[in-house]
Amino acid sequence: MHLVVCAKQIPDPDTPPSAFKIDEATNSVVPAPGISPILSQFDGIAAEAALRIKESQGDDSKVTVISMGADSARAAIKQVLAMGADEGVLLNDEAFEGGDSYTTAKVLAAAINHLGDVDAVFCGRQAADWDMGQVGLLLSEELNWASAIIAKGVEYGDGNISVQRVLTDGFETVSTQLPAVVTVSNEFGEPRYPKLPQIMAAAKKTVTQLGASDLGLDPSDVGASGSRLKVERLYIPETDSNVEFMEGDTPQEQAAALVQKLQADKLI
Amino acid sequence: MTHDATVETLSNTAMAVRSKSSSLLGAWWGPAVWISATGVFAGTRASDIAGRETFFNVAQPWVVYVFLAGLVGLLTFGFVRHASLWMIGKPTDGILKEIPARLRNVGRYGAGQDKVRRDRYAGIMHWCISSSIIVLTIVTAQVALQDDTPLDFLHGNYYLFFSFYGDLFGLIGLIGVGMALYRRYFASHHRIRWDERVEDHLIIVGLGLILVTGFVVESARIIETELVQHPDWARWSFVSWVLAQGIDSFGFSVSSPENPQSEILALHTWSWWVHVVLAFSWLGLIVFTRLDHLIFAPINAFFLRTDAPGRLAEIKDIEEQEVFGVGHVQDFTWKQLFELDACVRCGRCTEVCPANISGQPLSPMHLIQDLKAHLADVGPDIQMHRHATGDAGREVSPIAMVGDVIKDETLWACRTCGACVQECPVLIEHVPTIVDMRRFLVMNEARLPANAQAALENIEMRGHPWRGTALERTTWMEGLGEVAIFDGTQDYLYWVGCSGSLVERNLPITQSVFKLLRESGASFGVMGQEETCNGDPARRLGNEYLFQILAQQLIETFNGKNVQKVITNCPHCFNTFKNEYPQFNGNFEVLHHTEFLAGALEDGRLKPKYAVTSDVTYHDSCYLGRMNGTYDAPRQIIEMVPGANLVEMQRNLSRGLCCGAGGGNMWQEEIGERRVNHVRTEEAVSTGADQVISNCPFCIQMFEDGVPSIQPEEEGRIKPFDVAELLEAAVFGPKMDSNPTED
Ligand SMILES: Cc1cc2nc3c(=O)[nH]c(=O)nc-3n(C[C@H](O)[C@H](O)[C@H](O)COP(=O)(O)OP(=O)(O)OC[C@H]3O[C@@H](n4cnc5c(N)ncnc54)[C@H](O)[C@@H]3O)c2cc1C
Ligand code: SF4
Ligand code: SF4
Repeated sequence: MHLVVCAKQIPDPDTPPSAFKIDEATNSVVPAPGISPILSQFDGIAAEAALRIKESQGDDSKVTVISMGADSARAAIKQVLAMGADEGVLLNDEAFEGGDSYTTAKVLAAAINHLGDVDAVFCGRQAADWDMGQVGLLLSEELNWASAIIAKGVEYGDGNISVQRVLTDGFETVSTQLPAVVTVSNEFGEPRYPKLPQIMAAAKKTVTQLGASDLGLDPSDVGASGSRLKVERLYIPETDSNVEFMEGDTPQEQAAALVQKLQADKLI
Repeated sequence: MTHDATVETLSNTAMAVRSKSSSLLGAWWGPAVWISATGVFAGTRASDIAGRETFFNVAQPWVVYVFLAGLVGLLTFGFVRHASLWMIGKPTDGILKEIPARLRNVGRYGAGQDKVRRDRYAGIMHWCISSSIIVLTIVTAQVALQDDTPLDFLHGNYYLFFSFYGDLFGLIGLIGVGMALYRRYFASHHRIRWDERVEDHLIIVGLGLILVTGFVVESARIIETELVQHPDWARWSFVSWVLAQGIDSFGFSVSSPENPQSEILALHTWSWWVHVVLAFSWLGLIVFTRLDHLIFAPINAFFLRTDAPGRLAEIKDIEEQEVFGVGHVQDFTWKQLFELDACVRCGRCTEVCPANISGQPLSPMHLIQDLKAHLADVGPDIQMHRHATGDAGREVSPIAMVGDVIKDETLWACRTCGACVQECPVLIEHVPTIVDMRRFLVMNEARLPANAQAALENIEMRGHPWRGTALERTTWMEGLGEVAIFDGTQDYLYWVGCSGSLVERNLPITQSVFKLLRESGASFGVMGQEETCNGDPARRLGNEYLFQILAQQLIETFNGKNVQKVITNCPHCFNTFKNEYPQFNGNFEVLHHTEFLAGALEDGRLKPKYAVTSDVTYHDSCYLGRMNGTYDAPRQIIEMVPGANLVEMQRNLSRGLCCGAGGGNMWQEEIGERRVNHVRTEEAVSTGADQVISNCPFCIQMFEDGVPSIQPEEEGRIKPFDVAELLEAAVFGPKMDSNPTED
């Protein structure tokens, strides 16, 4: 069984607000000095989901981790390799730069087709930088596979995958034949802490690098030129906060005043 | 400088705070040996009258030698059996280097019982018992010498003296036994009863009986040969003499040419046999019980580490290891296994353990005892397996040492505070043993509490453990005017540390230190954005691999910048740079800020001008205090602050209680009845002080967190401050604006 994890390297969401800068002229985020990009947290969870299935299936199954990004994205790949993935593929090409969710899905789909024997793909529910939550679904369209998104549990048996999906008011279980794309949510649980032997093994593994021509992609279809999404303006919104203390002689009175206030402001 | 509370002289070797009476009490063996040696010498030359037949009235004295041979055989057998178990451990490094220092330790901790006396009652009790055993053994040996060799010295004045000190130490022994009996049977909840076994009763009751029967033998002999004939000799055996009169008053028959089989002779014979059999059986207990500390404790003093107690051993060639850390008993070093056998279950370690005090699932004594039992359980099988197959035999034991025998939560509750190590009378080093097992959990099994994992991941990803901080490494510089970046031209690097720059509460501390350094005229710079975790939390949490990577990188950075001297904000950074970086060839001169500031005050570079009128108490952080022996500098600073009145807490100096954050517990949920910082905050509050002063950003955070729980009323709360903050107020005035003053 061959499972793929799509892993994205993102600017650290924990960047202190004071260090987060935007270049409004180019509509781009200025990398904060001294703060390294990290693996999007949902993708670590997606890797955990894939690894659990791999472990339940025994030795002849493997996990490949794919990331589209700059050379620095190797660190994200290594992190998933250290968790126990077997192979890593970096999709790095100038032509991929400046794309959107659609072109990203297109490149990832080409890479998955290139691998050939893939049974299932695991994505994060959304990348923790733009929080689009698009790539997984678009990818299943590109591949023409079934999809199950925002999973809190995944089980595999007899060629079928059954997925517990998080809904706003509970969850539902869906099942589908493979191949399929699953996007995994934080309700699934924490990703494992890598064991040192695996970290050291991961350090020795080579990461395959592929570009547009390897994948048979036309550079004008991907990256900025293939992109359908145009960013009009990127800016840090002004925020304003006000503190108001609720009057009242007793905690009960204060609580009642708070409820009234929240109701008046249509917040509850 | 003197403090009321400074009952101990503060030595700069940590863990080595000795009490003033040490040489007096410790030297029990000196007089005994001297007395005997001069006695033998003087006795051989004296030609006086007083004297006696040594094996008086005993028909088969040679039996003693049969017993002795048996005992030697038993001891040898026991030693070989133990040693074969220790040998399944790994080799150690450098244990036969620095012999003079090791011999000094044997004198100080083995013979001198330096640690035993940290509990005064136990110290006196143990001194009574051990000195009486030693002296009475010498007494017995002299009897044997007199009887079975051509030497002839037990007569004349020396005989009288011999009679005197024999009785004296017999009495001292009885006092010791009395104290021990009281502790064991009448002092409820005493630590020595936390792991009580049958052997404990045998040992103490047995010893009491040996001493009593010894006196009975001596009294019977005195009744027969001295009471009437030589009353002036008899008085020298002052205890037996009194007892002899008591026995005699019952009117038992005494032997005479007409009545050679008297009742007193029968009493003598019987008590002699009971005494001898008891004595040898008791010595035999050495093989089977904790009495083995008679032998193992001094040997363990020889094996005691000679390097800094704050240093954890590095895993050399970490990439080539089969297993990381210690998850199987055979992966400990033989020294660690040997130590297990030295434990006397005295409970001292557990009594001072902050985790135990707070009702958390860790008792260092039980940890050591559980490991010892596990070694006895699986050691022989491992040995056999090794002989048969040659492999390490990690699969031999069906139970997991880490997980089953020692629970994960036990290992995580440790603060690596070193209080246990500090107290252990037989010099067991619990901290390295605990961290070795953590290493296994983290690196080999990846089994660790979620928050600890998050802290480690944060260090890996972001170079600091403070997940979610909104601060930058340069935020503290705001409003301070020009802050020089270290470029190799300044004397000192001021190392702010992650906690000093990324945790809101600590920024004022960092600023205070900075302002004071500037005021003192020191030439220094900081690293700002370039600082990164030095690896301490990773090492203490068990991720040695991550620690080594971080340490090597930072040493390279330091060398690249030509850093020679470092002043740190935090005692943990201090300990790591000072004691652990040399393991990787990072040799820097390291000062904690309190050390630098105390020096600057002393030579007048800093002048406290403003009074800070308040009662303050001082909390010794574990890594400045116990681990590095710096107790004086911070107190010196407090003393030089006009108006500040130092009130010590009961647990202070080398007995200080951890704030609860050490060993990576800053980033863990506490499991148990109470939180350590609540216990410690309570102790600070109970001094009645207005401020609790410390020297460590973690301690300060723990107090800040603890105070509202212990003092729910906002009014009159104790305020936690760093020494530097207190000094800043004294040097610049309470509301000093942050720009440098020109005067
Ligand atoms: C103004 C602007 C500029 C941008 N510039 C760049 C740029 O220069 N370089 C760049 O890489 N992106 C850039 N992006 C982001 C990029 O266009 C896509 O938005 C992104 O690659 C797709 O991720 P998402 O945030 O939509 O992901 P989501 O749809 O939220 O992602 C869901 C999941 O898809 C997978 N996934 C997403 N992206 C990748 C990836 N790259 N590799 C592997 N798996 C992935 C992950 O499993 C992820 O959890 C930019 C976006 C904008 C709006
Ligand atoms: S180091 Fe401190 S916390 Fe750990 S076992 Fe010893 S006394 Fe307890
Ligand atoms: S480890 Fe040391 S302090 Fe603790 S019980 Fe054993 S001998 Fe006593």
